[in-house]
This record gives sequence, C-alpha cells and structure tokens, in this order.
Amino acid sequence: MADDLENNGSGETALKRKVNFNTVAAVLFIMLSGLLFLLIPTQIDKPLIVITGSQANMPAELFPQLVATAFLILGVWFFMKSFSLQQSNDLLALDKEAITNVTVTLVMMAIYVPLMVNLGFVVGSAIMMMAMSTYFGNRNFWLSGAVSIVLPMAMFFMFRRLLLVELPPFPIDIFPLTNWSLI
Amino acid sequence: MFESFIAGAGLLFDPSKVTIVFAYISAGLFLGMFVGALPGFTTLMAMAILLPISFFLEPLFGIPFLIGIYKGGIFGGSIPAILISMPGTGAAVATTFDGPPLTKKGQGRKALEMALFSSVAGDTTSDIITIILIGPIAAVALLMGPPELAAVLFMALIVISGTSSGVFVKGLLMLAVGLLLGLIGQDELSALTRFSFGLPELESRIPLLPMLIGLFALPEIFVNIEKKVSQFVDASDLQIRGDRLTWPEFKRCIRTIARSTAIGTSIGMIPGVGQVVAAFMGYAAAKNASDHPETFGEGEIEGIAAAESANNAVNGPTLVPLLTLGIPGDNLTVILVGAFIAHEMRPGPQLMEQQGPMVFAILISMIVANLLFLIIGYFSIPFFAKVVTIRKSLLLPLTLVFAFAGTWVFRAQPFDLGVLVFFGAVGYIAKKLHFDVTPLAMGFILGPTMEYSFGQTVILAQQDFLGYVVLERPFAAGIMLATPLVAYLMWRRSARLRAEYGAE
Repeated sequence: MADDLENNGSGETALKRKVNFNTVAAVLFIMLSGLLFLLIPTQIDKPLIVITGSQANMPAELFPQLVATAFLILGVWFFMKSFSLQQSNDLLALDKEAITNVTVTLVMMAIYVPLMVNLGFVVGSAIMMMAMSTYFGNRNFWLSGAVSIVLPMAMFFMFRRLLLVELPPFPIDIFPLTNWSLI
Repeated sequence: MFESFIAGAGLLFDPSKVTIVFAYISAGLFLGMFVGALPGFTTLMAMAILLPISFFLEPLFGIPFLIGIYKGGIFGGSIPAILISMPGTGAAVATTFDGPPLTKKGQGRKALEMALFSSVAGDTTSDIITIILIGPIAAVALLMGPPELAAVLFMALIVISGTSSGVFVKGLLMLAVGLLLGLIGQDELSALTRFSFGLPELESRIPLLPMLIGLFALPEIFVNIEKKVSQFVDASDLQIRGDRLTWPEFKRCIRTIARSTAIGTSIGMIPGVGQVVAAFMGYAAAKNASDHPETFGEGEIEGIAAAESANNAVNGPTLVPLLTLGIPGDNLTVILVGAFIAHEMRPGPQLMEQQGPMVFAILISMIVANLLFLIIGYFSIPFFAKVVTIRKSLLLPLTLVFAFAGTWVFRAQPFDLGVLVFFGAVGYIAKKLHFDVTPLAMGFILGPTMEYSFGQTVILAQQDFLGYVVLERPFAAGIMLATPLVAYLMWRRSARLRAEYGAE
C-alpha cells in the first residue's frame, strides 16, 4: 500500500513536470479549431448568385476550413510535443515590479487614447510623456517638461507640414489646424 | 532587365529628386544608428515605429528611408558593444568578443572604425551581388502563373515558419493564426465577408500598419519597462580613445572581410537565419583560418572585421526572395513588405515587370546608402557613443507617442489604436511564451495572396483540379510535393546553426 502511494505520488510528480504552459496552449489551439468549425457556417456570408460549372469560384468557406483543420492537426502535434519541451514560462517568471510597470503602462496607454483624441495630440502626448517619465524615475522636471512639450510639437509639425497628414488638433476644435501650420 | 536598371538609375539620380532621396536615406541612417546604439531598442522597433513616415512619402523616398534605418541600425548596435560590452542589437553580440578588450587596451577608436569600414565593405559587396542576382531570378519568377505562385508561397510560409524559431510546430501554429487573421474581412475572390461579427471596422480587414507596430514595437517597449532604470550607463565609460585605423591594418583584414561577406551573403538568402548567426559564423571562420587564433577574444581587430562584415552582408540578399517572389525572409523584411504594399507595389513575380525601374532605383539606393553610411558613421561615431547615456525614462514615452501617432495618421480611427494595443499585448505574451510572431505577420500578409492564387488555379482547372495541376502545371505540383522535405531540411539546418552559434 505504501509502495502504491509512493508510486502514485512519483507518477503525479512526473506528470506535473511534463504538463506545462505549452500543453495548455496546445489544448487552447485545439479548442480554437473546434470554435472555428462552429463559426464557419454563421460567420461567412453566402453568395447571392451561385455559379456552377467550369466558371465556379472557390467557395469562401474552403480556406477557413483548411485553417481550422490546420489548427486541429498542429494542435494535436503540439500537444504531443509539449511534454518533451523544456521552455520556461517567462510570464510566470515576471516579478512584482515588472507586472506593476507593464500594468501601469497599459493603463497610461488606455488613458492616452481619449486624451489624444479629445485634447489634441500635443497636449495629450505632453501629459502622457510627463506622467510616464516621472513614473519611470525621472526627477528632472524642467527637462521632462521641455521634452514633453517640444517633441510632440515637432512631431505634430512633421506629420502636418512634411507628410501632409493630420493628427488630432489642439485643443478640441477651438483653433483650426492652420494655426499650427504657422509654427 | 538591363533597360530597367538604366531606367532605375535615371529615376534615382533625377536632378529634381536626388537631393531629397539622399536626405531621406541620411535621416534613416542617422535614426537607425541612434536606435541601434541604444541597448534594448532594436532595429526592428525603429523600423516598425517609423514605418508610417514612409507611407506618406513617394516610394523613391520612403523605402530608401527604411533601408537607411535597417543598415544604420545593424551597425549602430556595434558601438556600445565595442565600448561597454553591451550589444545594442543581437547582431552585435559577436562584436563584444574583441571590441571591449580593444577598448581596454586604449584602441576603442580603431575598433569602431574597423566596425564601420568592414560593415560598409560587406554591405556594399552583398548589395552588388543582390543587384546582379535579382534580374535572372525575377526573369524565372515571371514565368510563374497562379498555380506556381500559390505553391511557392505555400512552401515559403512553411519553411519560414519552421525556421523562424526553435520549435517547428510553434512556428506553424503562429502561421495558422496569421492566416486566420488574414481571413477576417472581405474575401478578395468573391467579395464575401468573413468573421467580421457585424463590426464594420473588421469588414475592411484588420489594418496592417497598427498590427505591425503592435506586434514588433510595443513588445520591445514592454520588455524595456519591466525594470525601472532611469539611465543606461555612465557617460565616463564612453570615451573614445586611441589612434585611428591605418591602411595596413585594414589591408590585413581584407581576406577576412571577403570571407565574412560571402558567409553573410549566403546566410541572407536562407530565410529565417539572420544577422546573428552570420556574425557568429563569420567570427568562427576567421578564427579557424587565422595563424594566431589565440588572439581572438583578447582584442583582435580581425575579430571585429569578421563579425561586422558578416552581419551587414545579410542586409542586401534578404531582398532577393522578397522582391522576386514576395517572400520576406525575416521580421525586418516583413516591415519592408508593409511599406511596399502601402505604395501599391506588392512584392512578387509581377513587381519587376510592372515596376522594374522603381525596384532597381531602390536597389541602387542601397549602394548610395552605404556611401552615405560611411560618411555619416565616420563623423558621428562620438555622438552615437553618447546616445547610450540618454535617459530611458524619457525615451520610452517618446517611443510610445511615436507608435500612437504613426497608427493614428494611417486612417485617423480610434479603432486602429485599439488594434495597436491588442497586438502589442499579443506580441508581448507571445515573446514571453517563446512563440515567434514573424510567421503570424507573414501569414497575415501572404495568406490572402496565396488564397487568391489558389482560387485562380481552381477556376483555371475547370473542375479537374488534380489533373490540371499534375499534368499541366507539374512545376507547381513538384513544389507542393517537395515542401515537407525542403521544410524539414531547412529546419534541421537552421536548428543546427542556432544551436552551434547560440542565436535566439
């Protein structure tokens, strides 16, 4: 009995050692294949006119079906292979500082989008650059202030005047774009 | 082809445009060297972020601008590698073997100049070989019809996916993800919408530019911000000291440069291997051929010449499969595909026929870029050495702002910013889980072309697909049949090179 427990225990440990993030990813790819097969009938438009005979087009479902099949075959192959792969899951290896920094940056990016769209590119970018450089350790506020204002203005000017494309103007629509073209 | 070459030269050296072309190449080189010299900031990131600028320029200005970034970036990485043993890019890792010992001996200036001259020599020679090779290969490619094109694209996608990362099946799965993403939106053949889930933004397909910036630039930014370090290194470590490189010293390395250039040129033509492996192979070959191998790693100037000429010689030949068959060999050329497509110049067999002079103008601009590279590099090495001291806390937000601005100007749609962030997160997670995103981008770009060519083949076959392909298009059938074997052989070779030379 004791031997059995020991064997079971070691067997479980061996299995734990083998099942890894690649195995989980393989299962997700196989599930994606199943999902695609379910979606294909509803998520592909049907042609209004069906041409038959020698001029018939390739059906729009064919490539999606091939891709779904590829996910299934490759997913099974990856599943089998995953047990022998010795790769580290670098997401789990991230420390608290890295997770915090990446999360804070993602939040800043999320806030930056409405800032840029509503306050204009120059103001939105200046706020984001100032906040981000301060968060990442810069304490020379004169320098970061100057960089945060001058560089977005230079970029605005370059895109507007040199490349003739538009960025969200500043601020909202009070000043027309031509004001900036006078820089 | 020769007429196209002459017309291309005429186009490039048109008096009304030549100054502007030179200005954009110089700007690209300068920006490339700047970013390359910053450890953690890669050439790939620079190209992805600056790609939108090239979209709004004429192809004659925009594509040479990107090529300038490409060339400058590869060399820029060697500056901190030589001075402080901190390679700015992966391609400069082999340069750290002899660069820092030379700097310690007070010969940092000599080492930097050797890196510059050997990079330019390797790059120029491989560019000339590229121009010579591209004509005949394009002539053969022109004989291909839809069945052959579909077969070649199929083989290329499988081979590149297999060789792009260490695990074949992971590369293939990322390719499948790319193909799936390429299916979203309107099908080119029948104009039917697929997988749009009723979102009008998705009906016109996932936008390429935000996707490329997200996949290739944002993950690099995320990796850089994992640690809060406000400055890279102290300025006092970056003094450039010692005598200049002499002609006899350079002459002693010519044989090594020629050998490394041949290695780099060959590696450039193999998809998915790249600069890192070329630099290590060039270095190892020079050491093996040397009468004094014991000096390598102790501050041997020949070691710098070997690594630098080999990694820069990769640049030109990677364009051969891209321009003739439409197949990008690595992630840097994927970015170039984005630029070509934006200028309505879809790389592939028809490109040389439709836009031969423009293609040759771009190729000749690569040689011009090398000459400018020599001048700019020679005078600005001390400046780029100091670039390493720029605060990361200021550069990272600026890079992010550039990524957002570049995405916005593409179509001025907030949806695209969402696409940018989404693919940034996908790229970061993929990087951490050892999935290479290059096959994903290639599948996304080349998948619709492959499907279109396949669809045309189905129509041409008139309901007898197998008979048509086997009996009337045996070349296409042969490629399809050979694909598993070629993919296996290329994967085995690539895996062996990676294991031997330690490239990621």
